[in-house]
Amino acid sequence: MIFYDYILSPSCYRVRLFAAVIGRRLDLRAVDFHPGQEHRSDAMLALNPAGTLPVLKDDGIVLTESTAILTYLAAHDAPAWLGDDTPVMRARVAQWLAFAQRLTDSAGAARAHDMLLAPGDIDALRAEATTALRELEAALSAARRRGESFLAGNRPTIADIACFPHVALAPDGGLPLDPYPSIRLWMRALRGLEGFIEMPGIHRLHELLPEPGPMPDVIRKERA
Amino acid sequence: MTTDWTPAALSRDIPAASAAPGQLGETDLAIWRSASGRIAAWSDRCPHRGMRLSHGFVRGERLSCIYHGWGYGEGGQCVRIPAHPELTPPEAIKVPVFAAAEASGVVWVADGTPAGAPPEFPGFEGFRSLRIHAPATVLARAFGGAGHVIEGTLGPCAVVALIQPLPGNVSALHLLAPEGAGPATLDALSLAAEALRRTAEAQAEQAEEETA
Repeated sequence: MIFYDYILSPSCYRVRLFAAVIGRRLDLRAVDFHPGQEHRSDAMLALNPAGTLPVLKDDGIVLTESTAILTYLAAHDAPAWLGDDTPVMRARVAQWLAFAQRLTDSAGAARAHDMLLAPGDIDALRAEATTALRELEAALSAARRRGESFLAGNRPTIADIACFPHVALAPDGGLPLDPYPSIRLWMRALRGLEGFIEMPGIHRLHELLPEPGPMPDVIRKERA
Repeated sequence: MTTDWTPAALSRDIPAASAAPGQLGETDLAIWRSASGRIAAWSDRCPHRGMRLSHGFVRGERLSCIYHGWGYGEGGQCVRIPAHPELTPPEAIKVPVFAAAEASGVVWVADGTPAGAPPEFPGFEGFRSLRIHAPATVLARAFGGAGHVIEGTLGPCAVVALIQPLPGNVSALHLLAPEGAGPATLDALSLAAEALRRTAEAQAEQAEEETA
């Protein structure tokens, strides 16, 4: 599978993160999105007329929407990530995948405005993003009351992966996450997933790694 | 009701071995819980490079900075600098520490030594913390009360509302619900809290327009 990627794109990171978590190797092709505008080159437009990233190319298929790519990878390699085959869970996954697009259009657009000089009414974008983040916080606090840690139930699905990057990077767009305790705990659960990888601005849970090197008192004792 | 203590978070939102951002007046706090369950409130600033310690990580009884891994233990004392593993850090490298205590599922913080323990609300437990873009006075009025501790009714049940004034005409509402309330009651309470926030924010916006 060939994956056309941009390191700072949260939508590309969705796919890289999910591939890492399920152990799928991707053949990465770096595209110079900013400042090179390579995604609007003839070669890239031939692949994706919308001129967006990411793009996934596999045997006979070209996918240009990150949530569709997540669906494809999950169905291909790790169908448990699509959620249980029950009406409620399937619908919840679909609901939050659509919500992920709202995050892209609000928090993602605010970040693109602040970091990549993209056009947009920043106050309106932040207000929309705040509405979305409050909705997410309320849903995740309700999930905690049911004893669940994730959006669609008691285990992570592609919906969590789809929503995670734009939420985690919201502070880049002037949207602090301090007011959202349940979002913080949800991100903590995702950052602790086996196989989790980072992107610039999103770090792993360091507490899961062993302490690097002994403490001073241990060194002194060993020498004594 | 008045107290030297400020409600800064709910206990349930800061599980063992984790850190969260908080506020005491104008001061940014890192509120964190050690692996053994001890709660602490420190200045949210690593003495090394100024990174927020609330972004840091907890191993055992220490909070470490995410930037260069400097580790701080009891009393905010720096106990470990990973780049100099053989060095015992000087006593001068210390994070300012604030008073922190838990009561009725609320994390209370204070500057200096407060008189007495933080207030208890028997029969209630922490429910949700919400950030509200309205001054504390407007929020209290929307609640139909006054002050920073309001015992009343919201939606389906009795509640205790702890209002924390924050800088910039913003408030935090730390809401306590009756212990043992069922899921349907709590879902309805959550919706009522969201509605209260909309009301308070609309009133704050209107007041702002009138003064402008």
